[in-house]
Amino acid sequence: MPASAASNRPEDLIGRLSYAESGAKLKALREVKNQIIGNRTKKISYVKLGAVPRIVDILAASEDDAALLIQSAAALGSFACGVDAGVRAVLDSGAYPHLVRLLSNPDPKVVDAGARSLKMIFQSKLAPKYDLLKEKNMEFFLSLLNSENENVTELAASIITHSCETSTEQKALCDAMVLPRLICLLDGSLGQRDASLDSLATILKNNSEAVSKFVSLNNGRALRAVIELTKDRYPRTRLLACVCLIAIGIASPHHMQELEIKTKLIGILIKLLEEPGRAGDEAPFTLAQLIANKEDLQKLAFGVKAVERLCNFLQKAPLTPPAKRFEGILLALAELCSKLESCRSEFLSLQALNIVLTALKHDCAEVRIAACNCIKSISRSVKNLSAGRFTSETIVAPLVQLLYDPVTSVQVAALHAISNIVVDFTNHKLVFIQNGAVKQLVQLSKSMDSKLRLNAVWALRNLAFLADRIRKDSILQELTISTLASLIYDPEPPIQEQSLALVCNLVDGGVDSIEHVFLEDGVIINAVAKQVWRATTTEVCIQGMYVFSNIATGNELHKEAVMHHLLPQAGGFTQSVIIRFLQGTESQLRTAAVWCIINLTYPESPNVLDRVARLRQAGIISQIKNMVNDPCLDVKYRVRTALEQCTFGNCSISLYLLNGVHWFGFSLAIYWETTVLLLSSDALLSRCKLAMNTLVNLREMISFHVSLFFHMLQLVKALR
Amino acid sequence: MPVRVVENSTPSHASGVNPECALPPACSLLSVGQAFAGTQNVSSVQKDEAWRVNVKIQGCDLDHGYLCGTMEALNVPLADTPVVTFWEGEIVDIKNYTFFTKKWEATSETDVRHWSKFPSFSPLLSQVEVDGGKSLDLSNYPYIFMRWKEQNFVNVGIDCGLTIAGFYYVCFSCTDGSINGFYYDPNSSPFQKLELKSKNGGGSGFRFSSYQLQ
Repeated sequence: MPASAASNRPEDLIGRLSYAESGAKLKALREVKNQIIGNRTKKISYVKLGAVPRIVDILAASEDDAALLIQSAAALGSFACGVDAGVRAVLDSGAYPHLVRLLSNPDPKVVDAGARSLKMIFQSKLAPKYDLLKEKNMEFFLSLLNSENENVTELAASIITHSCETSTEQKALCDAMVLPRLICLLDGSLGQRDASLDSLATILKNNSEAVSKFVSLNNGRALRAVIELTKDRYPRTRLLACVCLIAIGIASPHHMQELEIKTKLIGILIKLLEEPGRAGDEAPFTLAQLIANKEDLQKLAFGVKAVERLCNFLQKAPLTPPAKRFEGILLALAELCSKLESCRSEFLSLQALNIVLTALKHDCAEVRIAACNCIKSISRSVKNLSAGRFTSETIVAPLVQLLYDPVTSVQVAALHAISNIVVDFTNHKLVFIQNGAVKQLVQLSKSMDSKLRLNAVWALRNLAFLADRIRKDSILQELTISTLASLIYDPEPPIQEQSLALVCNLVDGGVDSIEHVFLEDGVIINAVAKQVWRATTTEVCIQGMYVFSNIATGNELHKEAVMHHLLPQAGGFTQSVIIRFLQGTESQLRTAAVWCIINLTYPESPNVLDRVARLRQAGIISQIKNMVNDPCLDVKYRVRTALEQCTFGNCSISLYLLNGVHWFGFSLAIYWETTVLLLSSDALLSRCKLAMNTLVNLREMISFHVSLFFHMLQLVKALR
Repeated sequence: MPVRVVENSTPSHASGVNPECALPPACSLLSVGQAFAGTQNVSSVQKDEAWRVNVKIQGCDLDHGYLCGTMEALNVPLADTPVVTFWEGEIVDIKNYTFFTKKWEATSETDVRHWSKFPSFSPLLSQVEVDGGKSLDLSNYPYIFMRWKEQNFVNVGIDCGLTIAGFYYVCFSCTDGSINGFYYDPNSSPFQKLELKSKNGGGSGFRFSSYQLQ
């Protein structure tokens, strides 16, 4: 009948929804529902044509017409199923309270339809939060959970999964004896079981108290039941059981110590990738979560050939958006290769890198991020970095391209990967300069977003590591002195730290490199000094001291500048910042400070004695004398070197003083005298006093003479 | 100005409570970017036959007892250019590696014979003979023992007529950053000695560069 077919056009159907006659309305509702079921495009076009408010009107107006209530609720549920635009339309049309009202209808079929529809809504993130902490709400919720109706109990479980977010809510649910009921539901229908597992994971997540309650229920039978469900026939049930066990393991590791369970979980999750549909899509994300930051689990995963199997699935996963599965596998591989070299070399040997490189150009931002994470993990291999394995055009070019990505989180992920691959020991760094990477890194270091700034500076710092003069100059030319100074002054301490580490790398390379910090009236060295004096975080101070330490390897002017910035000036601070660092609790900071002293007192530089004297006057020498038994071995031995140099410094200068055969002969004569006689030698004393006006007290004089004594002894030996 | 330094260099036995804490000391002279220079005596008989050697530290992961870098041999006979190899090191930290090699054709006797060449090893000898040093706490010991295994040639092919089949027993001194080592390869002349000193980069002082992986 052609006429009837024509009347099934969406516009006509929507018109018929407003008919007064309930039979016609019912027929139109059924028709709309049948058309949209499982058809995303149809749902969206009906939403656009305004079908949803019409259906809500029917729901609101049909107090006692069960058939209309059921059909309108079902149609709304269908709109809300899997399409966010549908959920939004249903909620915006005010359907929610009407659907909730259906749950109290005397007709069980109406209740069922209402529950189904609400369940769909609660599966979406857009659903309203159900406040479980309100007493009335909790009562109503419990009535749903304890209902005989399957869909109503599933709705209750969905409410938990959607609305239970805080530990207070988790506790409220535990106190309301929700756990035993959920465990009962594990024996129910497929839907009830899955919904129950999902809710259990929500209640147990990061809550060790809830976990111990759960584990002690029914003499541990609950935990065993969940473990049993990891072998279930249905893939989604297996996945949810894994998720639940992982939540338990994260909240209370001691409940999941058995190696066997962990290995099984890894095996089940990888096997789930064989399943089409949601379970298979979500499995790699769950696997990534399970092994994140856990080297022992990553080892177990490697043992069951996880890298090889995931790479195989990666090749098979569909690349068309939304490509959730593809993203998940990339993330799982990223976690797997985050710590273990064995996983990285396996990954590289499987030629999987090419697929990851393709993924860098994927339409979905999430996939691009996951691909960057994967490269980040793989490029933690110093062995492969050293071999220059990541500096080929095919890897660098697409990553640099992502620095221009419109999505900030993609840019950040690309910066992470780039920070690693620029660490290159064979001076392939030119590839980054030619690809315009430096230019864009500098741009991003000026971003308003602190994450972009941090990671851009981090990449520049790694790029400057052991770079030759040309590379360093090109970085600095692009960056400019003033931008570098403002990065050192950045409000965020981690950015200050990376900027100082960048300066440290830039000035490692001889006198010419050191000159950079003195350009433009010394803005860089001034900035470093300001941060060192006022910084509150240890990491910033450590990097700052290494910058000074490197500057102190330069010429006399450079060393003098370091002295100027680190010793208290007249009218300024009373104590040198070096003393504060030497007295600090962090051994790495003490080490950095001692290195600075070592370089300032490095033997055979012309003004070393003067510097030793000033360091002594500032109380620094007596401070390091107290550190010869520092609990940190590195500090202890560096202190010893510094003290030896201070002593040696005195002697070499004394030789300047004792310049000439006459004085030398005189010194040798002294060598044969007793120390007392030596001390009474007025002539020598006065000359020494003249030259070393800081050595005023007798004790230090004695120590000076004793060192002279030994020095002479060595000379005599050498002459013989 | 001599200062009396109280030595505390006798190894103590690990309490066994938390072996994770017993890692060897981190030493700024053995960090990434540091360079060393010295010689390797190719023959223990002919003292004059020595290659000049440069070593650079490229990676260091104390948690995994891992160290790596390059080794450059300068005046290698029959080679036109300096020969650079990439090596990976195992730090004897008891957590990841003990004094017993258990691979690379080295028996525990080979191990003890080589380690014993280092004077700093003698206080440890008796315990190492018992269990490879499993019960030692090296966290406060001023020497770091390592095995360095060359993995590949960097700038020449494998047909260069040189071998990297063996590995080095290495002892690093935390006090002055010097490195001593003995090459072991059943097919090469025994006890080829490697002697390296910390190189500060040529300026007047020690310079530091660093990178940090993400």
